[in-house]
Amino acid sequence: MGAFILRRTGVMILTAICLTIVVFFLTNLFPNLEKLAKTQGNARMSDEEVVSWLDRNGYGGPMLFRYGEWLGVMPGWTREDPETGEITGRCIDFGTDPADAPTRCGLLQGDLGFSTVSDEDVANVLPGRLLLTLKLMGWAFGLMVPAALLVGVLAGMREGSRLDRSLSTLSIASTATPEYVSGVIFIVLFASTTAGVSGALTEWGWLGGDGWLGDRRTLFLGSARSAMEDITFWNFTLPVVTIALYGMGYIARMTRASMAEVMTAQYIRTARLKGVSFRNIVLKHALRNALIAPFTVIMLQFPWLLTGVVIVETLFNYNGFGWTMVQAASNNDIELLLACSIVAVFVVLLTQLISDIGYVFLNPRIRIS
Amino acid sequence: MKDFTHTRKEAGLKTHPVAEMYAAEHKAGKLDRREFLVRSTALGLTATAAYSLIGTTPAMAEGHRAVPGEGGSLRIQMEVRALKDPRTYDWSQMGNVTRGIVEYLVQYNNDGSFEGVLLDSWEANEDATVYTLNVRQGITFNNGDPFNAEDVAANLIGFCDSTVEGNSMATRMGGLVDPDTGVARDGAIEVVDEYTVRVTYPSPDITFIPGIADYPSAIQHRDMVGTNPADHGIGTGAYMITNYEVGVSATLTRNPDHTYWRDTYLDEIVFVDLGQDPAAWFAAAEADEFDMTYETVGEFIDLFDAIGWNKGEVVTAATVVIRPNQNNAPYDDVRVRRAIQLAVDNQVCLDLGVNGQGVVAENHHVCPIHPEYAELPPLVFDPEAARALLEEAGHADTEFELVSIDDDYRKNTTDAVAAQLRDAGFNVTRTIIPGSTFWNDWTSYPFSSTNWNHRELGVMILNLAYRTGVPWNETAFSNEEFDTLLTEANGIQDADARRVVMERLEQIMQEEGVTIQPYWRSLFNHARPGVVNGSMHAKFEMNPHYLGFEA
Repeated sequence: MGAFILRRTGVMILTAICLTIVVFFLTNLFPNLEKLAKTQGNARMSDEEVVSWLDRNGYGGPMLFRYGEWLGVMPGWTREDPETGEITGRCIDFGTDPADAPTRCGLLQGDLGFSTVSDEDVANVLPGRLLLTLKLMGWAFGLMVPAALLVGVLAGMREGSRLDRSLSTLSIASTATPEYVSGVIFIVLFASTTAGVSGALTEWGWLGGDGWLGDRRTLFLGSARSAMEDITFWNFTLPVVTIALYGMGYIARMTRASMAEVMTAQYIRTARLKGVSFRNIVLKHALRNALIAPFTVIMLQFPWLLTGVVIVETLFNYNGFGWTMVQAASNNDIELLLACSIVAVFVVLLTQLISDIGYVFLNPRIRIS
Repeated sequence: MKDFTHTRKEAGLKTHPVAEMYAAEHKAGKLDRREFLVRSTALGLTATAAYSLIGTTPAMAEGHRAVPGEGGSLRIQMEVRALKDPRTYDWSQMGNVTRGIVEYLVQYNNDGSFEGVLLDSWEANEDATVYTLNVRQGITFNNGDPFNAEDVAANLIGFCDSTVEGNSMATRMGGLVDPDTGVARDGAIEVVDEYTVRVTYPSPDITFIPGIADYPSAIQHRDMVGTNPADHGIGTGAYMITNYEVGVSATLTRNPDHTYWRDTYLDEIVFVDLGQDPAAWFAAAEADEFDMTYETVGEFIDLFDAIGWNKGEVVTAATVVIRPNQNNAPYDDVRVRRAIQLAVDNQVCLDLGVNGQGVVAENHHVCPIHPEYAELPPLVFDPEAARALLEEAGHADTEFELVSIDDDYRKNTTDAVAAQLRDAGFNVTRTIIPGSTFWNDWTSYPFSSTNWNHRELGVMILNLAYRTGVPWNETAFSNEEFDTLLTEANGIQDADARRVVMERLEQIMQEEGVTIQPYWRSLFNHARPGVVNGSMHAKFEMNPHYLGFEA
């Protein structure tokens, strides 16, 4: 087991290095640097100004050198202003004496770098955003997994029954509806003052003015921004349900298939012939075996949730990790994007690791290493 | 000298010979009130003095501000961008946040007048080469240092430094910048006494006051010129930044340790960044997440009206141009450019591009609200003549690639132009480039659209965008007669005399088919009932010191 985890960690680091090289290469192509200079300097800068800006801000050297600087194996750039004699550099923070600054400052030194867009250390930006996404993921997960398993098990118990057919249709429909469709439908239905449920409730005098919810005129809120500080039932339900619904159908279908297969297995038939009640067969004999396949799928939902929440976060104005990554990419915020990709790599591989270890507990016949 | 400045400081400039002439013209009906105000206040008259010259009081003016009640927290929907050296600001949004900390010498009001903020008054000599700036007394920075002429001079010198990349103030300072060294000319900016600064131009220039009223011209402490106000927080304003998260939100809180030099009302202003999608703003408005929009566009104007918010509207010289670049074939052929203009009906662009919310323009980029606007015969719309001209030029089968940014009104307007060109028989391809990369090459696309903000004077935009070889000349237009006349117009203070030259400049723009400039935009925003002084400003400005709630 120890060797297995060690090997996996090695793969994880190697993958992270490969991915960051790719991201670094793409973000450092000249047109992207030009875009960076123009967003940072002035949108209408001339070509000479762009070159001088890039040079002055340490984007002038060869790309491999700069990757080395980011990793922390190469000394950070320094530059002396020919006129004022002022020394600036990668490792010299605003207001500190150049003599006190370290020579190297990169990943190895624990420095994730500097986000050009938010004008702040990446290490200060990311944790807060990740936490927001974790909250959203947590609630979505908490809703999605139990609901999906329940639906899957119920559907898979008696294959072909009326219950199976209706639940299957429901899960296919939910998975076939992407978030940007269901999210918009939910907003129109529940969060518009003029249309849908809230509109009708207002007309009947149940909302707005002296209605149930004070002077609020919509049932749920179509924007989860206030949830960034204070999560309430009204501001968080729509985004959570939107995410959960999309992932739910998939897990439910996997569970159903697995359950249906288990229910036809020899040992279940034996148990039935022995007169074990249907309830006990499902709960005691079938369930554990039926959960092996959906377990992998559930673990795969983690990386999907981390990056897949992009749409929901944007739709509901919730500034989490997915939103940050999109912003970093569209603004060519090199070091923020690199940090995001490292986080993504770690989440993907970590959940894989957990799912591999989890298998051992679900199925004792599997031995790792 | 001392006496001279003293009277000015107390009363503001009461009269100016040219201003008196303008007043007479206004009374004779030759000049409308807005034109009169732009011209006379740019010369140094206070708005009050200008109004009194024409026998009216500012209380009746559109620019007059109401007095809100004390206290409260106002939430404004606006993009929160990373701050930097104010001289390099390229978005009004940046200025709107820092206006609570670093203030401006002069502000531009919607009625066309300029009003002193950190300047008490100013005065131009008769040929607009020497400006005497009288600095307001009794102002201190929030670190306790007094504010005086030295600070003003340090900032003006900083504005002129064209060696700073992206310093757009250097273009606005014009003749004050020495073309050889790229910095302020020796003796161009002098400190006369503690509260007086004198600015001397080598040739007449009427754009100085409008230039220092623009959002990149925030006044910093003399030792802080060229730094980011968010880093040091020093300024004359009443507020301080207590939270700043780019792309998310920014909070200004009233600074408890600073005595502000005039009244201000709100305790807190929160800028809420809700991204670029107006649909998301609307959803957030319904969810009660903010009280006022930065700008409302298109169909959302009606939607915000429908939920009971108050609309603020202002007619501006903000526009969009769909311009060929003359460095690229076939646009180097004037017949092709004329054909493009003939094939496009500007009214259609207005209707389809901005929902008809604006005024039709005449392809010469001088707006009827500009003082020197000269009326030309109406434009001709004739697709058949366009087609004939195109065939004559031998480009009947040439493919025209029309580029635009991917957004609402700029894209729609460009689409409307493309459709009309196709109707006239042009072979048009449309290319849409995302906003994040569009600006990389904005001056060099062969045929594309660009938006331009409101400028106070007609000559300002012509100087910035159409003079030979200037950095923002996206049409690659180069015409000797045009340049010579423009230089001449820059020095003419009298708008009527300038109009004579301007008429020819406008004609050249049309004859040469420089650009399609289809309409002038009206700008709108919305605020919840009860918000005071939040109405749309022609240059997207917000001043945290004026905002508030009804008492």
